[in-house]
Amino acid sequence: MAVQERLERLPYGLGRFTPAWYALAGVLLALVALGAYAYLRQLIEGLIVTGLRDLGTMRGAAWGLYITFDIYFVGVSFAGITMAALIRLLNLEALKPVSRMAELLTIIALLLAGLVILPDLGQPLRGIVNLFVYARPQSPFFGTFTLVIAGYLFASLVYFYLDGRRDAALCAQVPSRLQGFHRLWAAGYRDTPAERQRHARTSFWLAIAIVPLLVTAHSTLGFVFGLQVGRPGWFSALQAPGFVVMAGVSGIGLLLVVAAILRRVLRLQEELTPAVFAWLGRLLLLLIVIYLYFTAVELLTSLYAGHHHEVALTRALLVGEYSALYWVSMGSLVLALLLLVGQVALRAYSIPLLVLSGLLVNVAAIGKRYLIVVPSQTHGALLPYGVGWYAPTWVEYSIILGLFALGTFLYALFVKVFPIVEVPAVQGGKR
Amino acid sequence: MRTVLAILMVLCGFALQAVSYFFLAAPLGIPSGPEYSNPRLPLAPLLFILGVMLVFLAAVVYELLPEREQA
Amino acid sequence: MARYGMVIDLDRCTGCRACVEACKVENNTPRGSFWMHVFRFEEGEFPNTRVWFMPRPCMHCDNPPCAKVCPVGARYKRDDGLVATDWKRCIGCRYCEVACPYGVNCFNWKSPEKNYYLDWQDPELTARTNGAIPPYKNPDLEGRYGPEQRHVAGGGHLKGVMEKCTFCVHRVEKGLSPACVANCPLFALHFGDLDDPDSNVSRLLREKRSFRLLEELDTQPRVHYVGSGHAPGAEARQIEHVKGRI
Repeated sequence: MAVQERLERLPYGLGRFTPAWYALAGVLLALVALGAYAYLRQLIEGLIVTGLRDLGTMRGAAWGLYITFDIYFVGVSFAGITMAALIRLLNLEALKPVSRMAELLTIIALLLAGLVILPDLGQPLRGIVNLFVYARPQSPFFGTFTLVIAGYLFASLVYFYLDGRRDAALCAQVPSRLQGFHRLWAAGYRDTPAERQRHARTSFWLAIAIVPLLVTAHSTLGFVFGLQVGRPGWFSALQAPGFVVMAGVSGIGLLLVVAAILRRVLRLQEELTPAVFAWLGRLLLLLIVIYLYFTAVELLTSLYAGHHHEVALTRALLVGEYSALYWVSMGSLVLALLLLVGQVALRAYSIPLLVLSGLLVNVAAIGKRYLIVVPSQTHGALLPYGVGWYAPTWVEYSIILGLFALGTFLYALFVKVFPIVEVPAVQGGKR
Repeated sequence: MRTVLAILMVLCGFALQAVSYFFLAAPLGIPSGPEYSNPRLPLAPLLFILGVMLVFLAAVVYELLPEREQA
Repeated sequence: MARYGMVIDLDRCTGCRACVEACKVENNTPRGSFWMHVFRFEEGEFPNTRVWFMPRPCMHCDNPPCAKVCPVGARYKRDDGLVATDWKRCIGCRYCEVACPYGVNCFNWKSPEKNYYLDWQDPELTARTNGAIPPYKNPDLEGRYGPEQRHVAGGGHLKGVMEKCTFCVHRVEKGLSPACVANCPLFALHFGDLDDPDSNVSRLLREKRSFRLLEELDTQPRVHYVGSGHAPGAEARQIEHVKGRI
């Protein structure tokens, strides 16, 4: 049986690289080059070029911006698989138009998370080899390395690949420079009823398999911190659930932003209706409320029952050295919450306001990640070494910026070679 | 046939994960000696990752396995 | 098999830092790295103040948080009780550093050729030392140790790997005591087999009141402090601000 549907030309501007696209790509690649240069400098000179220093007598922070953004990137990856799971398991057909862009967000975010670990390692080459040879399940890094990078990324790729086969088959019928790529992706898919049924079945089971992976993968990252008995501010049973929820907040928030940009640029007003955004907004609201609850519980516990190191650290966050960043993060989170509550209460959703809350929660996410990683090292020493200090250098900023640019470039490139929303069914050769 | 193969892959994948995690990689527990720093079988972590991948590859196999000619 | 440990007599320590110096020379650690550190505390309000000193090597814990979290098993516990760092396996993730509650880990932030405690490559100095083996060339640091034959003595301070106090494993395996112990002018530091009831360390632990640092974390350190002192609490402040710079 042959495919009944036929496309006359590639949809969504595939394969048409406009001057504006080239300009964007140029800027992004220039930023990637800056990041690569910074990394090269770091490879040659060592981590001395960063603002990181030893704990203890050197009174610095051994983990800084790289780890902060590793957690952030893994967190953002929450969006894609959650969408897939919601659509498949809860039958939320309304969210279907954002499913592929969310999955792509997941894949690229995980790629960046894997990459940002490399500059953090003093011996990156050994890191790659030794983890495969010696990795110990007892180390919380084992989960990060096997479940997040290998499991989560691989599962997302599989889901993404299988989910795209129908559209690839449709696009492969249009003669273009991309035909070979589309044909390869389709891998003989002909959209027979048997194939459709099979795909529905696999994606259902994949969604079921991925949900526990989602929770464990985001939790392992929380365990990296939550299991450290010697670090006030880290050692907490709430760390892992907090990571899962914060991942959701930042992931859904960024998805709102990405979806709005694509809607504008690719003129997807028909596909991405305000109802889709409203759904994401409500989900975001729910997650923010849970996160704020966790924050309150944690604050109360550490202020009421914490030993003096814990209290000192909390003071540094609330009124001390880190208070500016703390209150900016909390303020963004609360502002985003108020914006969302208002829209839900009035039942009137505005896409710009939703995007604003998406941006705000991401500012908060980065801030809160930083506040988890750094203060416990500079202000949480159990022996009286004195207060430490950390400020990132241009090398760290450049590498992070380069990675963001790389991610954006990959996204922009993908949007030009593959339909980012599902190609609608066409009848009789006409759209 | 298709279903059997996929289920088999999933089961093998999980089995490989469990075996490599608990029996082949470095032992769990308080690291009180050098034996806690080495995997009991070299490259056990790689086996674990392969196990994870095998589970999800089952989906690809299930969908992409070419259909047999109708007999 | 011997299970080594250290006993530090706080009543004897005068905070002279000869142990810090000895460690620097023996292991030729990079500038800013202190495998041994001496806390110099003052407590109380004037005029009722007290000054006291507390050397702080690696605690070589029996339940080492650093070895637990090491993703590749570069940090491990030896059968003789030493917590060792295999600098040929370490990937430089610094997880051990953030996991350690005692702050004893030192990362090699840059290549080791410059800014050593003693820059022995200085031509003027080389002429004067007249061919003596400088510490940075100490071949013992490069060697393999223990039945497992791993590189745990610090080596040439390779860029991008973690280091810490080794209890001078290269000396201990020769039957010598660590450099800090051997060089303490007041015999405040003692090293020996904690399993042997007749060893000097066991005897000291029997005779004097003792404590260990952060015992509440159940890391079970193998470094014991004896004497009339106590573990530093919230009221202990360092006399001078210590900040290693590189």
